[in-house]
Amino acid sequence: MLDQVKQKAKEILEKKEADGVLGLRKGLFDVIHPHVFTVPSELDALVLEPKWLFAKMARAILREKPQAWRLAVIVRGCDERAIVELVKRNQIDRERLLTLGYACDMDQAKACLCSRPFPQKLDAGAAVEGVDPLADERVKAYLEGDAGKRMEMWAAQLKRCIKCYGCRNSCPICVCVPCKLEDDVWVERGVIPAEMISFQIIRAFHLSDTCVACGACQEACPVGIPLMTLQLSMREALKKDYNYEAGLDANRKSPVLFDFAKEPRPGQAVPDWVDSMGKKP
Amino acid sequence: MNPEFIRTICPYCGTGCGLVLKVEEGRAAATYPDRENPVSRGSLCVKGWVAHEFVHHPERLTSPLLRKGDRFEEISWEEAIALAASKLKETAAKYGPDSIGGLSSAKCTNEENYLFQKLIRAAFKTNNVDHCARLCHAATTVGMLQTLGSGAMTNSISDLAGADCILFIGSNAAESHPVLMGEVYKALDRGAKMIVIDPRETPVARNAHKLLRLNPGTDIPLLAGMMRHIVDKGLHKTGFIEKRMENFEALKTFLQAWPVEKAAKETGIDEAVIREVAETYARAENAAIVYCMGITQHACGAANVIAVCDLAMLCGHVGKPFSGIYPLRGQNNVQGACDMGALPNLYPGYQAVADAAIREKFQKAWKADLSDKPGRTVTELINAAGKDIRALYIMAENPCISDPDVNHVMEALQRLDFLIVQDIFLTETAKFAHLILPGACFAEKTGTYTNTERRFQLLHKAVNPPGKAMGDFEILCLMGKALGLAFDCNSPADVMSEYAGLVPAYAGISFNRLERAGIQWPCPDESHPGTRFLHGEKFTRGLGRFVIPDYTPPMEKPDAEYPYYLNTGRVFAHYHTGTMTRRSPFLNREIEDPYVEIHPEDAAALGVGAGDWIRVTSRRGSIVTTARITDRVVKGSIFAPFHFTEARANMLTNPVLDPACKTPEYKVCAVKMEKDHEAKAR
Amino acid sequence: MSAERGNVKILVFTCRWCGLIGADGAGRKRIELPASYRVIQVDCAGYVEPDAVIRALASGATGVAVLGCHVGGCRFNDANHPALKRLELLKTLLDTTGIGGRRLLLGFGTAHESHQYAEMIVDFHRELEGMPSMASWLPQGE
Repeated sequence: MLDQVKQKAKEILEKKEADGVLGLRKGLFDVIHPHVFTVPSELDALVLEPKWLFAKMARAILREKPQAWRLAVIVRGCDERAIVELVKRNQIDRERLLTLGYACDMDQAKACLCSRPFPQKLDAGAAVEGVDPLADERVKAYLEGDAGKRMEMWAAQLKRCIKCYGCRNSCPICVCVPCKLEDDVWVERGVIPAEMISFQIIRAFHLSDTCVACGACQEACPVGIPLMTLQLSMREALKKDYNYEAGLDANRKSPVLFDFAKEPRPGQAVPDWVDSMGKKP
Repeated sequence: MNPEFIRTICPYCGTGCGLVLKVEEGRAAATYPDRENPVSRGSLCVKGWVAHEFVHHPERLTSPLLRKGDRFEEISWEEAIALAASKLKETAAKYGPDSIGGLSSAKCTNEENYLFQKLIRAAFKTNNVDHCARLCHAATTVGMLQTLGSGAMTNSISDLAGADCILFIGSNAAESHPVLMGEVYKALDRGAKMIVIDPRETPVARNAHKLLRLNPGTDIPLLAGMMRHIVDKGLHKTGFIEKRMENFEALKTFLQAWPVEKAAKETGIDEAVIREVAETYARAENAAIVYCMGITQHACGAANVIAVCDLAMLCGHVGKPFSGIYPLRGQNNVQGACDMGALPNLYPGYQAVADAAIREKFQKAWKADLSDKPGRTVTELINAAGKDIRALYIMAENPCISDPDVNHVMEALQRLDFLIVQDIFLTETAKFAHLILPGACFAEKTGTYTNTERRFQLLHKAVNPPGKAMGDFEILCLMGKALGLAFDCNSPADVMSEYAGLVPAYAGISFNRLERAGIQWPCPDESHPGTRFLHGEKFTRGLGRFVIPDYTPPMEKPDAEYPYYLNTGRVFAHYHTGTMTRRSPFLNREIEDPYVEIHPEDAAALGVGAGDWIRVTSRRGSIVTTARITDRVVKGSIFAPFHFTEARANMLTNPVLDPACKTPEYKVCAVKMEKDHEAKAR
Repeated sequence: MSAERGNVKILVFTCRWCGLIGADGAGRKRIELPASYRVIQVDCAGYVEPDAVIRALASGATGVAVLGCHVGGCRFNDANHPALKRLELLKTLLDTTGIGGRRLLLGFGTAHESHQYAEMIVDFHRELEGMPSMASWLPQGE
């Protein structure tokens, strides 16, 4: 698959479809790092592992370069979805970016509990079937059962937070400057664990309809908080209520931005004053 | 131009996380976690994520500076080196070799530390070289040498994940060594028990199954009480003790004096709790003890360490995986600086200067005459400054914030005939220097750091030092040559092969083996993979020895005039003297102002509200700081982080030393507080 | 797990066109209401950031109510639709963590429905009284 990706990337550069290809390179001292390949011969040093999401970096690169400069990005499924989300939010100009997608293998899919371990525009490798995250035992333990027990379980996890901001830093979609998590109107500064409700819930909620389930936050977390599970319920709710999944269709924006006429919620009535308490007069 | 990505090691705590620096047009622009690093595995703490921020700070020193009256003037490197060499030589000639002192640095690489101690020892025939390990883990070195034979952490960080019981004593790893806590939580998720012994409810304690809030400085009574209960119940590992230990009878005799009831009275902890914790620890299949400054920074620090070792050995929790004793090193390379012999009584590899055969070996290797008299420690060097010590060479240390009773330190430094400070910023200490040499930070040098689990890890140079600043390695080479030594090493790799030849434990280590994973010493030959845990077959000293810990209560207790205990420590967003972190915009925004933690009842009695400015005074000094009101501290005691130059907690601390290891008693002193009405309103 | 009985604090964000007038009406009609709630007036429920709801919970509110006009009757056309959708999503998150989506009350009614308003607040208060304590989620001490 690596050869296939290299070949396609070379073609892109040779045909001048893009001015640079963003991918991983094995560089000086064998450091594997993101790199913009601009000449085809460089591409021999291209590698695909470890998993590294480029969406945020692609945005930064495109901002620096002149308008006519085009970038190709070598992406996995999750990275493609992250790019789509940034395109929707006007952070990336789709005209200036093309993707070269390859599929993850089954091991990677299992490690990420990924339900879509392949990009929609697949250029290399064969797509494998995804894993259902809701079937995972650990995920079940966090999502099911009594609210009181869940509350204690999550409190025990979030109490471990050392406020490294790694979840935010590694997220391919968190691009706000300044970030609300650094503002003491919202989150008290200078204490750990980071305020459990405001820091954690605000962060999770900001990604509610944007999270592409790449798992970067969870991988970067030094204390192993199952952050993906926090997003999962909201992703599932959007799927169930609006048949919406982040990162799939660049032309469909998040349903929570629209009224019920444009983005109806099948089978559910709009709540009234009184029936919000669960009873009719 | 495309950015380069350079792999290096985090310059903050002793965990030794891997960083990848993104370098754009010669500037470090961003930091990423290194996923291949075996320690951090793609995680970082808040300090690591912004490690690039201070590198290009405008206040970096860019040229050698010479004091002219109250000002500093830029001079050339030739002048600076010549002046430094001639002044040091002059002083040595006039007052004798022991009038020169050197403070090496736990922030610099192994190679630089090796060169520094070689420079002081070979050029002046004195052993007056030490570094800040004196202020933190000297007690560990002294204590563990007597009991186990090696002062290093016995196991690897990853072993914590497999422990069944983890005992934290005086360690706030969640703030001081954050990334390491990941391994601890893995153990907890497996069902391990976590017990924290600390007077303060630290972030570590909040995740523990049990917190023992003992009276400050009563660690030995607690540990003795636990051991007594273990022996009474017959829970000690008899087979292990018979086969591998000595002096058990003496320990039993000592424990006769510490019935659990007495321990309970002394520590303020319930008898039943002491018994329960002792049993949990002793019965666990694999149990680890993690300790830190709460053990060592006491007037009986070395004895505290001994008590910890005794407990671990009594239960046989040493010399096997997933257990052991974890003294967490505070600085990125404090392990390395100790290893490299930046200690007044030891050559590289903990070889005693007093041993004639060893001295002979080093004399031959260094082609120089060496002193057989152990030198002075950090605290003694400072005390003797201007008296017996006439000139000091301080490399990347900041005793004006980090040493106890800093008013006294500042006076002492002013008495010196000549003070050379080599640093990256104009630190509080550099302000007293006669000559300042601009050094390089972690991103600007090649070399190795040794982390707390004895792992040599490689740094790569990512950017050039600013202006005329030079790598500390190059500066030391120039200094060495100016002092007439054969410092012809071309690269840090040469220096490494030099010390690998002198220390059997590092014999198999070389630069080309260190890429990616590093190597944990001892590594006696080229094919050796490094050592995951020590004392496996036998202890480093042969038989393990039960040593009797002598209990000394804290030297200064609260009284009518100074009614509160003061405890000092770190916070998660800052690091040590704040030279780097307080110049990092992100970290400084996280915590801007100095503070002390006060118990709500004490605050109410003083009429102090959250965020109020208060004055804290001890017999030695006084600071103005803000109040944080929290029940994380017990009533009658307060906690102050020591990073803040505007309110230096070490103005207050007691400079009384542990006689065995010369570590000061930072953790306990008596203070009084009052609301400060004059200080600016927030 | 201690209940919050007697310690309930409700923060009400209400739009000034409907909810606020309804609340006013309840007062003028002298309907008995719990003393546990405070009202913050906003121009439209659409102005209420979910973050503000979270911040209120983090600052010690036991429950938060967001009240707007009937969906379809909003003074700003459809502004309360996305507000409703967003906050429903927040409820999902609060449910996941066990804090409980029931701590967030969403209500949409008109200005003259003051009896319903009163009943809703009374019920909300009663419901919160039975909720488990959030103490393990709140910063201690300070």
